[in-house]
Amino acid sequence: MITKTEMSKKDFFIEIDHASIEKCGQMVCGDVFMSRKVQKEGRTVCVLSDGLGSGIKANVLATMTASMALNFTLADQPIERSARSIRNTLPQDEVRKISYASFTIIDNSYDGATRIIEYGNPQCLVFRNTTPLPLENNLTDSPDQLAVNAIQVGKGDRIVLFSDGVSQSGMGRNDMPFGWEMDAVSDFISWQIGRNNEISAHDLCKKIVVQANNNDRYHARDDITCSVIYFREPRAMLVCSGPPYNIDKDGYVAKVMDEFDGAKVICGGTTAQIMSRELKRDIEMDLFSGVDGIPPVSYMDGVDLVTEGILTLGKISATLANHSFDQLQKRNPARKLMEMFMAHDKITFLVGTKVNEAHQDPNLPAELDIRRNVIKKIAAILQNEYLKAVDIKYI
Amino acid sequence: MKRIEIKICTGTLCHVMGGADLPDFALELRDKYQEKIHISGSTCMNYCKDSSLTPPFVEIDGHLIQQADREKISTYLESIMES
Repeated sequence: MITKTEMSKKDFFIEIDHASIEKCGQMVCGDVFMSRKVQKEGRTVCVLSDGLGSGIKANVLATMTASMALNFTLADQPIERSARSIRNTLPQDEVRKISYASFTIIDNSYDGATRIIEYGNPQCLVFRNTTPLPLENNLTDSPDQLAVNAIQVGKGDRIVLFSDGVSQSGMGRNDMPFGWEMDAVSDFISWQIGRNNEISAHDLCKKIVVQANNNDRYHARDDITCSVIYFREPRAMLVCSGPPYNIDKDGYVAKVMDEFDGAKVICGGTTAQIMSRELKRDIEMDLFSGVDGIPPVSYMDGVDLVTEGILTLGKISATLANHSFDQLQKRNPARKLMEMFMAHDKITFLVGTKVNEAHQDPNLPAELDIRRNVIKKIAAILQNEYLKAVDIKYI
Repeated sequence: MKRIEIKICTGTLCHVMGGADLPDFALELRDKYQEKIHISGSTCMNYCKDSSLTPPFVEIDGHLIQQADREKISTYLESIMES
């Protein structure tokens, strides 16, 4: 799951992503990460919970804990009371006769003020560039010993949460008898950020999880989960698709695209022809780049990606809906476009509404949707499931 | 010698009407004729706006082939190679 929140007041975006690997031999992960944004309050709450044990049982414990922690936090309940409610609600483990799931709550408000509440998980790390910030850890008086931190985050900061499957990975190996350990994890993250200062939350959490699994020699001995919250510069992207209803607007559309500050994509053969004609730039097609029934991509100066229209968009709307774009081939044009969606926060669609009448022929071997509908569908998914700021303009 | 220009349309309509196989065929042609031909793709050649024509479309040295398939392209290529 990927979630992003627009922080209009501070003009930074929050990119949130997590990656998990379940304990070797288990079907599901016993760590659960949940996040929710409340647009009205400009607030984002994330919870990572690690259930006792592993497998389904742990997943149930962690899911209950995470969803309760999330909802109690959003309802502004005092944290001690939330912790007590969670503990009383969780079912008892038959073997150990206790009920337990650890959790970390990140409660961020729009101005960057962030509360971190931790119970039982390895301490989360806050990075400003490559340096981890020192956290104070005020323990509460309650028997739960919750650690509470209040920090102020700014543009470029990252918060990294992980389960003990990460910090204890590799335990027992000659070169790391006590596992990976916090200091080494922290150094690894610093190094990754140093290598690529702009590394996305998506890539960073994946790298950490893969390294932890590697420490365990690819037989994870505990559920491994890492989530990263990245407060970053918003990235803008423009998708031009479809010829304008009125041919007089061709020049205007080309001008808007040419002057746009951000990534640019053309989606549609006729649209590409119009842009090429108006901007007097050649289109170079890579005829052999089409795969899996998606027509090939082309290149044009000043444009990041040129694809075919309705088939590519249709594929994207189907794939985005079930979060399965990782399963498409890397060179699939639809995947290339989806990766661009993932990497950007503010996405504008400039949609020409002229209908290609030949597409409406009922004798066609494939069903060709109307562009406007497909884009509406994609926009809704990007907005609701991937929390992008999406804008559609019809021309 | 001037190379023969082959232009394949990969627009939506051409693609669903059978043009999807043409890039693979283009590879075969390139192996066969080597330097004698030059193959390129077009995002849309605008023939689909004319309802009297049937996709997929291929242009060989400016000559339009409708409902292009392997056979039609081969036949036409051979005929101009001979002349």
